[in-house]
Amino acid sequence: MLSWSSNEAGTPADLAAIAEGAGDGGLPFGAELVAFADAVGGFDDLVLGSARERLRAAAGDEFLADAAAVLANFEMMTRVADGTGARFPAETAPHRTTLDHRLDIGRFTSSR
Amino acid sequence: MRADLAESHRRSLAHVGAVGAHFTAEQRLRIATVARDAYLEADPSPPWARLFDEPALDVAYRLARHAGTITEQWYEQIISEGMHPLEWVEIVGIVIATVPVVAFARAAGLPSPGFPAPGSGAPHGRVAHELAPATLNWVPVAAPADQTASVVQALSALPDEWDNLWQLAGAQYMSDAQMADPLWNRGTLSRPQMELTAGRISRIRECFF
Repeated sequence: MLSWSSNEAGTPADLAAIAEGAGDGGLPFGAELVAFADAVGGFDDLVLGSARERLRAAAGDEFLADAAAVLANFEMMTRVADGTGARFPAETAPHRTTLDHRLDIGRFTSSR
Repeated sequence: MRADLAESHRRSLAHVGAVGAHFTAEQRLRIATVARDAYLEADPSPPWARLFDEPALDVAYRLARHAGTITEQWYEQIISEGMHPLEWVEIVGIVIATVPVVAFARAAGLPSPGFPAPGSGAPHGRVAHELAPATLNWVPVAAPADQTASVVQALSALPDEWDNLWQLAGAQYMSDAQMADPLWNRGTLSRPQMELTAGRISRIRECFF
């Protein structure tokens, strides 16, 4: 989705930001967004407080709230997928090989 | 906080506190409480721990805190212990009605909202008109199976849970229809910024999908 939307927007994104949490993905406030996502995923409230204030200072209150909403949504969707054993149709596998390798998805327990 | 998002989260918690297809409102609120506490716990138990004497609460705990560790084998084990597959689906529906509300509040630095008082009455038993086994999910879904994406059909066996999932998605992220436009966005984030944020948290959660 990131590749698709960023290409359509004319600013192809760097997937290292998703795969390794490195850099800014080539997007405004990208580094702050990645740090915020990492902090929400990390369960250390001190780290989260720091990442939240960094994003707020850089991009403002509304941006922070909209980013938190997207994170909340994917805290939901990942659990829908993991809790119901969601799978991709087999015929889509060849199209996903490169991305799966880039994100190291094969080692995830949820891929079993 | 946007008014539509606040209303969506209020509706989701009201849904949690209402009678479900297989569980009473009190049971649903117990499941939601375990999910909330598991999500926020500073020092969580390991994924394989069975902490409760109710399998429904064990499923809620693991899904809320260690979702990426759930395997088909564990699903089958819980079902073989006596849980009905549609009870499992309802637990997923309760957990995903709770966690994003709590997650948003924690992320934004807001107080975690409380649960409503439980509704009254017996489980209503409302399920999809016809069910079918799916190849794209472990759980049964509304027939015909596998005609839509697996995450879309995932909760379709229980229409109330499915409705709540998609009203939340529409307010927090975007609807299915809006997803088809790679430049659609809501609020202050561009679409690539939304997808970067979504992709990174999904990667951290090691979600295969």
